[in-house]
Amino acid sequence: MTLTNTEHLDTSDGNGSDASAPSPVAAPTPSSRLKGFAERNALLALLLAVITFFAVYPESSATFFTSQNASVLLGNQSVVALLALAVILPLVTGYFDFSLGAIAATSSVLTAGLMSFHDLPLGLAVAVGVGVGAVIGGINGLLVTRFGLNSFVTTLGMATLLGGLIQWYTGGQTILAGIDPALPRFGGSTWLGLPRVVFVVLITTVALWYLLAQTPFGRSLYAIGSNPRSARLVGIRVERSVWTTFVLAGALAGVTGVLQLARAGSATADNGTSLLFPALAAAFLGATAVVPGFFNAVGTIIGVLFVSVAVSGLTLSGASAWASPVFNGAALLVAVGLSHYLGRHRGVRTG
Amino acid sequence: MTSTESLPASATDVVLRIAGMTKRFGATLALDAADLTLRQGTVHALVGGNGCGKSTTIKVLAGVHRADAGRIEMAGSSWSAAEYDARAGRAAGLRFVHQDLGLFPELSIAENVALDAGYPRGATGRVSWTALHRRVAGLLADYEIDASPATPVAALRPAQRTLVAIARALQDQEDDRHLVLVLDEPTATLPQHESQLLLDAVRRRADHGQTVLMVSHRMPEVLSVSDDFTVFRDGRSVASLVGARPTERDLVAHMTGIAGNPPGTGPAATGDASAASGTPAGTDGPEVVLDVSGVSGGPLRGVDLQVRRGEIVGVTGLVGSGRTSLLKTVFGEHTPIAGSVRIAAGPPGASTAATVAGRIAGGVAYVPEDRGGEAAFADLTVRDNLSATVVRRYWRPWGMAARRERVDAAALLRSHTIKAPSTEAPFAALSGGNQQKAILARWLRREPALLLLDEPTQGVDVMSRADIYRIVRETAGRGCAVLVASSDQLELCGLCDRVLVLRDGRVAAELSGPELTADRLTALTQSTEPVAGPAPAPGERR
Repeated sequence: MTLTNTEHLDTSDGNGSDASAPSPVAAPTPSSRLKGFAERNALLALLLAVITFFAVYPESSATFFTSQNASVLLGNQSVVALLALAVILPLVTGYFDFSLGAIAATSSVLTAGLMSFHDLPLGLAVAVGVGVGAVIGGINGLLVTRFGLNSFVTTLGMATLLGGLIQWYTGGQTILAGIDPALPRFGGSTWLGLPRVVFVVLITTVALWYLLAQTPFGRSLYAIGSNPRSARLVGIRVERSVWTTFVLAGALAGVTGVLQLARAGSATADNGTSLLFPALAAAFLGATAVVPGFFNAVGTIIGVLFVSVAVSGLTLSGASAWASPVFNGAALLVAVGLSHYLGRHRGVRTG
Repeated sequence: MTSTESLPASATDVVLRIAGMTKRFGATLALDAADLTLRQGTVHALVGGNGCGKSTTIKVLAGVHRADAGRIEMAGSSWSAAEYDARAGRAAGLRFVHQDLGLFPELSIAENVALDAGYPRGATGRVSWTALHRRVAGLLADYEIDASPATPVAALRPAQRTLVAIARALQDQEDDRHLVLVLDEPTATLPQHESQLLLDAVRRRADHGQTVLMVSHRMPEVLSVSDDFTVFRDGRSVASLVGARPTERDLVAHMTGIAGNPPGTGPAATGDASAASGTPAGTDGPEVVLDVSGVSGGPLRGVDLQVRRGEIVGVTGLVGSGRTSLLKTVFGEHTPIAGSVRIAAGPPGASTAATVAGRIAGGVAYVPEDRGGEAAFADLTVRDNLSATVVRRYWRPWGMAARRERVDAAALLRSHTIKAPSTEAPFAALSGGNQQKAILARWLRREPALLLLDEPTQGVDVMSRADIYRIVRETAGRGCAVLVASSDQLELCGLCDRVLVLRDGRVAAELSGPELTADRLTALTQSTEPVAGPAPAPGERR
């Protein structure tokens, strides 16, 4: 969608219209504007409420509202945030990509392995990691568009396949040694008091927002998500566009993997599922905010922050380990329910 | 059919009475103290323009919406609006067949019936297929559907599918005919001869005492089958014609609230033949914009046609004659296996590739038949829908020119008299007629050299229909070549300079000037005479 918050509020053209002619376009009523404003900003308000609560709540107030905690929180969530941004690309056009978590894990393991086992230089290893992500995305896209396979099952299969390959490549061992120290140094360093990786997420968010909301290509992706047959008949190259979203998402997942390696300093033989589900939850939560009913970059970031802040607060107030997955799952269910409701009440009423 | 003069209906005759029904959606008053009285054993037509409240009435009766005020009386019971629900309606004998029939095409007729009424069980609890098939065979015979219970619904003709849905809805009816059948736009998606079959069947049921309440846009059909009429306008019942024999003009006058035959809502609006501009396609007329020669593929077997600048050419034929295929081939969506399509009037240097994108760049516009499936972006905004063909115009390196886009969209809504809550409202909130006008506006803003229209007024109310005809004529007047495919012969006669009849995948006849009448078109369409012409292309597909 094309509109930012403030632009959304102003839907009627103030000047330039013939005031004497009866206009079929009624100006939105104040109450509908207010409702729209509330709907767009509900998640943000909820996020602020959660922050306020844990800042005041005696069990967590000592540690929660500190720049130290903010720094740790943002650094740890940058990996999930980046993957969530990757997830929304195919989702906008109506396709799931469940393999993105596994692609990130593959990229992480491959980047580490190339340096550790094959002594490749850092730059080349990173490029291969990201490139392989894009290639796998391209294969997914080809299977889904050219061969018309169900994206749900195809990418689930791809995820399983990649999980197996990771096991084979690493022998189930964590890759610790031989990683160029410059990478973990980048992952641990800060700039302006914030971890550097946060800025990677920030730049990606702006880029994705621009792509989705401010370019004809982004607009065509939403059109495909709404009705692929209609999109085709207004001249949009549906298959190529969908394929492109899979490639971009794969590459972004590749970057996520590198970032994960930079944060952790080692690559575990993991299949990436633990990364994918919080990212999916954030994407669906994000679709209830900013441009309600549609997946969007800014909403996704708010979604990531909402889930992670709440979980961090719960942890700091002494909640047990099960609190985090319970909250994640509940948030995802609520988000899916909300976006379903938003989609429906935008719905049809004819005479 | 009983006498048409038995006025007024005696109280015992009345099977359903709605009084003072009011329904509000936010700021919109969808029903404003509407009344409706249905007599036993009659076909009752509920007519009115889009947004008049007829769909809302049906939805209230079906229990989808709850009315804010009013009373519903049926089968000796009476409910206030607040008490009435779907269960009450069903218990009182209302049965609905909606435009979407709710059939499962892959399953057999018997299974479709059983999924509604339950499967008959044998002693061990297993499904008794023999009992089911016997019962369904009886039902099919009763409804004169020539098919076996094991036939998949997908294998039936469209009219038969509707009849299966009707039979299924009325299957628990005993001979006392206590049920009331509600048909919501039963013929909206059917071609003319299929609707005729269906309406004949409905008429026969009514002659045997079945009470039917029918909502339809198609005036000639309504007139041919109905005994009584109720006309809605702006949520009110403005006319109740019991046993009268109104003409199409009478009904339209009630629907529009304008007596007589005002310009724009009269003959053209309802599809009567109006004077076509009648420029015969001479050899030295304006330049040829579209030149189709020997095109084969799908149902097409060597079609030749030309459309000149400023000309409106119609294409008609039975379902399967290739009307839609022809338009899709011209638009580059279907690739012909033989022959050529040349489009001559695109902007200089534009692409001439035979792909959808190439055709659009070459100045071709296409409004498909299936508005919901192939044209609309239902959950995107009205603005998004209007801009879909021109998004690139609004792109600047620093982003989309959002304000410019909104101003343009609002201007389009005004110039095409599209009723929309705002440019940012979801497209699905618009009525069918307004959606169609918006789809047309989306293409006309590109100022196409060739406009392809497939069933441009299907499911469109009378008033929007008049708007669409006016807009198409104005567009042609500006020099655009227009090719219209339609199964509505009256529409083609009123709109086109000349009309081609497709039969056996070829152009079987061409009518223009005084020859161009609906009767002639119908006769030529239905004719079984073989079409003279070149032999079918080798290697043709079925």
